[in-house]
Amino acid sequence: MNDVNETVPFGDFDREFTLKELLSAVKTDKLLSAIKMILGDDSCIKSDKGEVIIGKPLPEPLKCVPLRAEMEAIGFLVVNNSVDDNLLFSVRQLIEIILKSSIRYLMASDLHLETVQSDYALLRQKHQALVESEQRYKDLAASLEQRVSEQVKTIEQAQRQLYQAEKLASIGQLAAGVAHEINNPVGFIQSNLSTSKRYVADFTTFSEKLKNENNLDTLLQTWKELDLDYTIDDFQKLLDESIGGAERVTKIVNDLKEFSSADHSKEEIVDINDHIRSACNIAEIEINKKTVIKQGLGILPKIKCQSGQLAQVFLNILLNAEQVISDDGVISVNSFMQDGSIIVVIIDNGPGIPDEVLKKVFDPFYTTKEVGEGTGLGLTVSRDIIMNHNGNIEIDSKVGVGTTVQIILPVNT
Amino acid sequence: MSDYNSDNNKLTLKLVFYGPALSGKTTNLTRLHDLLDPELKGEMMVLETKNDRTLFFDLLPLGITAPSGLLIKLKLFTVPGQVAHDSTRKAVLSRADGVIFVADSQITQSINNVESFENLAENAARVGLDFENLPMVVQFNKRDLLNVQSEEEINQRWLSTPWKIVFSSALKGDGVIETFNGLLDVLYNRMDNEYQLFNHHKLSKEEFIKGVLGEVP
Repeated sequence: MNDVNETVPFGDFDREFTLKELLSAVKTDKLLSAIKMILGDDSCIKSDKGEVIIGKPLPEPLKCVPLRAEMEAIGFLVVNNSVDDNLLFSVRQLIEIILKSSIRYLMASDLHLETVQSDYALLRQKHQALVESEQRYKDLAASLEQRVSEQVKTIEQAQRQLYQAEKLASIGQLAAGVAHEINNPVGFIQSNLSTSKRYVADFTTFSEKLKNENNLDTLLQTWKELDLDYTIDDFQKLLDESIGGAERVTKIVNDLKEFSSADHSKEEIVDINDHIRSACNIAEIEINKKTVIKQGLGILPKIKCQSGQLAQVFLNILLNAEQVISDDGVISVNSFMQDGSIIVVIIDNGPGIPDEVLKKVFDPFYTTKEVGEGTGLGLTVSRDIIMNHNGNIEIDSKVGVGTTVQIILPVNT
Repeated sequence: MSDYNSDNNKLTLKLVFYGPALSGKTTNLTRLHDLLDPELKGEMMVLETKNDRTLFFDLLPLGITAPSGLLIKLKLFTVPGQVAHDSTRKAVLSRADGVIFVADSQITQSINNVESFENLAENAARVGLDFENLPMVVQFNKRDLLNVQSEEEINQRWLSTPWKIVFSSALKGDGVIETFNGLLDVLYNRMDNEYQLFNHHKLSKEEFIKGVLGEVP
């Protein structure tokens, strides 16, 4: 950067002026004729170097008087020898007055010029400095934009990573719930199988007896000793229990699969009502209650959506309702068009959700169920799915009256 | 910055009266014009004033001839003291061979003195003068007024500086010659170094000072 305080060279208004310079602004004809009128004779003015500055060289003999500026002679007034000394002195005085006035004028004007030039030079330097500083700020502004966009990218990336991490964490959470849930049935299935093995051993013993013993009483005796009546009865129960356990495991695994595949199910053009119907069917089978699901499905346009995901949402909500509703409860599912959007309303007359719970129902991992019963992700995932379809999900509930879930899905063109 | 012209055997020296506005620079010059009686003394040129305040500068030319025939011409300038005329101050200070800093002794003017002195140092640097080695005398003017800083206080403050301090009342003519004498003293040393005034031109310091001052009453 240029330092505006750097040395500024000045000209010299205070230089020694030459006679020629001092007389340059004087009209020489007028001066000569004025002098001639006073002296009655021709004259000429010479510099201190002898150069004729005004008038013409005169024939000798001559009188020569010095002309002073400031203190020293800087030239001479030359006249014919016959000119009167008093008159000559007066003329010299007059010319010196002209010279002094000239010096005043030249010094003042030169000084003025110098100061103007120096002020201008300073202004230019300041202007240059300003231009440079403006350029620096422009550069800074340009790089600022770039830096901001880089920063935004970094933040976006961090957000994605965070989202991924949360997803991993939620999967981990799910896995923990699942592990606990699977552990239970697997535990009693194992125990049942061990018992079954013993029961099979009892039957093997009896079967050996059967092959070698013809006495029915003895055989019956052995049957009783082995308590095979009980064994058959219990065996049946063990198998039923184990099948139930295995089914639970299968269901859990299926839930897990649905959850993990929720992100990449295919987009299809479907009638949402079809998926509502199948979700209702599954829900009715799933929960062995006499609950009635009333369907009031309006005519809907087909929309492009990830139908598998939406089915999961409807099922989730229906199951939530089924789980809390009493045997004579009613669930109604209605669908209709409103303001260019598909509205699906699921209403139950269950116990309702208290306000403090309602506030948290969408929070990940929030659950009111026993550990292992629910993951706390059902509504969270449901909301994510609806939002992915640019829709919205709202839950309204009143304790003792029931719960209303409203899903709004825009019809995409 | 002195200007030696070998053609006409002339040495021109520029001496500048610097200082805050209304400290008495022009009064100093007027008194010198009245009091000095050198071999050559020009008319005092007063340029552009407004309400007694210098707008451009004042100029008093003086001259003496050394035994060698060397004409030593002293041009005494004043600068305008007002802050606004800084460019003019710089132009006048440019190429100065010596400076008389005329300070206003009134207590109320202390800050103006300091600012003007700092301005002198800055401008000296800007026009390429070696301020540290510039022949200079500091004059505390207006001693005849009441409410002035005490001599003790001023001496105390300027004790460590290399410059001669003179107390004056330019309006009454007191201390004006002493101030100028002080500057001629240090100026001679500098010029003697540069131009061998004593050895080549046979001009001693006493003769130089006496020549410039003349028969001081």
